[in-house]
Amino acid sequence: MRGIQLSLNQTQKLRLLRALDKLDSLSSKSNSNVSVIVADTISVNYDGGVLKGHGTSELDGEVVATLCGVVERVNKLVYVRALRARYKPETGDIIVGRIVEVSQKRWRIDINANQDAVLMLSSMNMPDKIQRRRTAVDELNMRIIFEENDFMCAEIRNLQHDGTLQLQARSEKYGKLDRGQLLKVPCYLVKRRKQHFHQLDQYVVTLVLGCNGYIWVGELIPEKDAVMEDLPNNTDQASTNTTGGVEKAQAGSATETRKNICRIANAVRVLSTLSFNITMEVIMEVFNLSVSLNLPIDHMLGAELCVSVAEREAERRSTSTKRKV
Amino acid sequence: MATKRGGSASSTTYSPWSNQKTRRQKRLDLKDPDWVRADGRLFHQCRPAFFRTGAVSAAAGSAYAELGDTKVIVSVFGPRESKKAMLYSDVGRLNCNVSYTTFATSVREQGSDHKEYSSTLHKALEGAIILESFPKTTVDVFALVLESSGSDLPLVVSCASLALADAGIMMYDLVTAVSLSCHGPNLILDPLVEEESHQDGSLMVTYMPSRVEVTQLTITGEWSVSRIHEAMNLCISACSRLGDVMRSCLKEAAAAAADDT
Repeated sequence: MRGIQLSLNQTQKLRLLRALDKLDSLSSKSNSNVSVIVADTISVNYDGGVLKGHGTSELDGEVVATLCGVVERVNKLVYVRALRARYKPETGDIIVGRIVEVSQKRWRIDINANQDAVLMLSSMNMPDKIQRRRTAVDELNMRIIFEENDFMCAEIRNLQHDGTLQLQARSEKYGKLDRGQLLKVPCYLVKRRKQHFHQLDQYVVTLVLGCNGYIWVGELIPEKDAVMEDLPNNTDQASTNTTGGVEKAQAGSATETRKNICRIANAVRVLSTLSFNITMEVIMEVFNLSVSLNLPIDHMLGAELCVSVAEREAERRSTSTKRKV
Repeated sequence: MATKRGGSASSTTYSPWSNQKTRRQKRLDLKDPDWVRADGRLFHQCRPAFFRTGAVSAAAGSAYAELGDTKVIVSVFGPRESKKAMLYSDVGRLNCNVSYTTFATSVREQGSDHKEYSSTLHKALEGAIILESFPKTTVDVFALVLESSGSDLPLVVSCASLALADAGIMMYDLVTAVSLSCHGPNLILDPLVEEESHQDGSLMVTYMPSRVEVTQLTITGEWSVSRIHEAMNLCISACSRLGDVMRSCLKEAAAAAADDT
């Protein structure tokens, strides 16, 4: 398994292998999911005509693969899905990125894709919440909103013809992320869902699962009341849900909150090591498992928890399939 | 304690191979038809090759290869942003770099980039990669030779094409490479360092097995046309065999990765 660098002793190795074998046998694999490598011919039924999709090309009347991956077929379309390629952005994805550069009227953001994404100044809410044209003064004050090496979350607005990505962060839930940590996981482990923002009130933690494989775990800053925002006293504070007030930043998060953030972050790391899909339910299961085993946070990345998580997941999936049958 | 024997070339570095001069004298009668290669191989026999992908976890794709004692590790980064100075181009760019570690050769030397090998690697790979699939971006290929024991550049080319396949870069086919050394009437495949150092001529072919296309041919020395044909046929059949080994390595890696998802 790629990327697992755990030192397992003999029994742990056996348990892990057994759990992984169980998961393999449970996962449904149809016969047409053939893994191909570069220049392998793909068996295609030519009678109905065939559409050669991404990752294929034609050679002597045969369809050959240009990527290493798994063959996917949809009606007449045949394409090769690469297993470990970079994140391929699509319109509407929610992503977490890091500001790389502040340029004229836009920010350049690194989102773990082929190219950096671009966030135009006009696609970002102003601190004073007024909808207006961006003036030259706004352009000069861009650094107040985002600086280099800040983290932020946004949505992909569109993909231009030359591959440039445009982001938009117009809603309240998008914007700068602070008081937390960023985790980088392989992007294929985060599937597109309805909800990418999760708030855990009982632990005071907010979780953003970016489709590009960047996951943000941070402190949950309680929403300011909408009524309070309109009062003239608060207009110069520039405090929103995501940016946070200046006084609070100086105070720092509570120790308990920080421990929860670290525990959840380690849970995500364990899942990424085992190459399991990262969803809210699985993260909470790992979190609860580590709490029930009374593992101190720095021991969470050890071999024991990885093996227990694998076994737990195998059991859970086998019981859910049994229930279906 | 460190007395010099037979006057080695560099008087300040310690070399474990202190009796090189005596060994060289034995070699001189290589036009002799009974000459046997140093490791007992046949003339047209290559060393066993070992390939493994996924050696470097930080890179987009990577591969490690061994050919006898020669060891090479290649990491591929990208496609990633080109430098600002680059104007818009609708094809991608390929950037290759081959460097030797300081402990790669028998005499410790300054580890530095090998510019000639880097440009040869670039020419060998650019025919196989579909550059239109990543416009405006760059793919960086970094090759590091850990131990050099003859036939370095062919192994670097083969390992680099595996690393590119591992990174998910679209290619027409894998690129395999084999080099051949000419000693009088004998053509020997996959030469060692000593065999390379007193060869009459050399020929290196980089070949795409499934497409039956040669991406690059490098010849040094004096060759007749019939000799070139014979040498190329030998190299191409060796490349096809090497291609099978590489494909089986990729298949294992792809099957293992497909099981995870």
